[in-house]
Amino acid sequence: MRRRGSTFGKVFKTFLLFIYFLMAVVPLYWIVVTSLKEPTEVYTWPLKYWPTHISLSGYKFLFKFANFAQFFKNSLFTSLTASFFAMIFSTLSGYVMARYKFTYKKTLIVLLFFAQMIPTYLLMIPQYRMFSDIGLIDNLWALVIVYVNVAVSFSTIMARGFFSRIPKNLEEAAMIDGTSRIGAIFKITIPLSLPGIAAIFSFSFVNTWNELFTAALFINSSEKMTIPVALNSFVSKAGIQWNVMGAGLVVALLPTIIVFAFAQRYIIAGLTKGALKG
Amino acid sequence: MKDKRRKTQTKLNRFIFWMLFPTFGIIFVFTYYPTLWGIILSFKDYTVFNFQHIHFVGFKNFISLFEDPNFYQAAWNTLWWIGASVFFQLILGFILALLMRYPFKGRNLYAGIVFYPWALSGFALGILWSWLLNGQFGLINDILIKAHILKHGINFLSDPQYAFYSVIGVNIWYGIPFFAIMILAALQSIPESLYEASEIDGATPFAQFLHITLPFIKPTLVSTVLLRVIWVMNFPDIIYGMTRGGPAGATNILATYMINIVYFDTDYSRASAVGVIIVAILTIYTLIYLKVTSSYELGEI
Repeated sequence: MRRRGSTFGKVFKTFLLFIYFLMAVVPLYWIVVTSLKEPTEVYTWPLKYWPTHISLSGYKFLFKFANFAQFFKNSLFTSLTASFFAMIFSTLSGYVMARYKFTYKKTLIVLLFFAQMIPTYLLMIPQYRMFSDIGLIDNLWALVIVYVNVAVSFSTIMARGFFSRIPKNLEEAAMIDGTSRIGAIFKITIPLSLPGIAAIFSFSFVNTWNELFTAALFINSSEKMTIPVALNSFVSKAGIQWNVMGAGLVVALLPTIIVFAFAQRYIIAGLTKGALKG
Repeated sequence: MKDKRRKTQTKLNRFIFWMLFPTFGIIFVFTYYPTLWGIILSFKDYTVFNFQHIHFVGFKNFISLFEDPNFYQAAWNTLWWIGASVFFQLILGFILALLMRYPFKGRNLYAGIVFYPWALSGFALGILWSWLLNGQFGLINDILIKAHILKHGINFLSDPQYAFYSVIGVNIWYGIPFFAIMILAALQSIPESLYEASEIDGATPFAQFLHITLPFIKPTLVSTVLLRVIWVMNFPDIIYGMTRGGPAGATNILATYMINIVYFDTDYSRASAVGVIIVAILTIYTLIYLKVTSSYELGEI
């Protein structure tokens, strides 16, 4: 390790890192504090940086009157199911794209790459038509299908990245020993790439959990809303109390914070090593 | 012998086909087919009130867009939105990566904490920031007043000028971690011996930065910036959470402009026309991107 920089440089560096730390953390801190205030205290000036007494009234309103438990369940169902299928599909295709040469492979990679760039809101109108033709509007399964579609292209690119880093001859050795191709994949390759697969699952989960625009168009009935759709309906309703909104935001953000805390290392590895190298 | 080999080859082909089928099946049906359909819809008259008798109307939707001053504002805003956001995300992300380059106590924890916004919902964080920037009870105004920078609170999101700066500012905040992550990874792949050798030759830190660091991470910088441009252009979430494109279209980019047509005008064909314009820009841009990155020999696309 090199040593460089004066004491002043070091202090300055620490200072900058601290400033950025504040910029990152204060907004989250503030929404947690807001969600724990009494409604009256939310709207007092000068601001209170900590509630005089901690009040759960925002959360109570959310779960008692705003049916948030149901929205939470809906979001959990769509995100978990969609990420599960995206994980399976992208593992299969990513594996093949890492291991074999075949015609049209280049075209397929470009198609994956391009699919990844087409945002959900561009596709939602034709998709809306398609799902209403088969009677799947206002149905969480329609969201699941759309979310698998969104997640699977990036996930395949990621999977291809980490499978190509596992040496092929490990599998071949197992196959010489009499294991079948599928057996070799399950015994050798899959266990070695578990961190990557976990990264795919968590990344898809985070992205589908956050999706708003398609869900807002597809879901009409209030008992089928996902959390972003519910937040969106809060925004349109003038006069929502900010302690309630704050509580809603905390509930919306918390699952992704938890997932990210566990999976960040793997997601970042997948992102920096796999995805960009096409 | 030859026959057997052909047989295993067909078997292998079949294997490859079925492994690829779920992924590409779903992408073809739910990404590419709707993309084509969206293009067709943009020449029709499909609205929420006209579900049954949809006809071709030629370029009517495009003409009505080109007659709408809000469309031009959204297009112009999109340029600024991309340019300012990506520029500052890059600069600040770069600085953060340089600061975090060498290990310090608690670096992993620090990274875990400060990188989080990257994974969180842009929409939810947009709503959160609209509260921080609230004109009456916002924390930002409180801080600025206490620091004697302001006398009275600013209505950041209801004043058109401030509103656009605000959404860009929040977007920069949101994107710094992504750049920091990518650049940090690239920095850590630079062999330390290069610096040691140049130190013996008496190179200053600045010269090292210019002649070792920059050339080494240039491919990462180029590809990250190019990818990020697409991503930021297609990222209406923060704006939607903060202002929904308002006040009076001041913070609209093409993406939010289109979404507002879907939700509020419910004119699906006119919205599709905006979509076609976005896809056209995207396609041209991607072709350029592929050309540039392959000249850097990034990846084997």
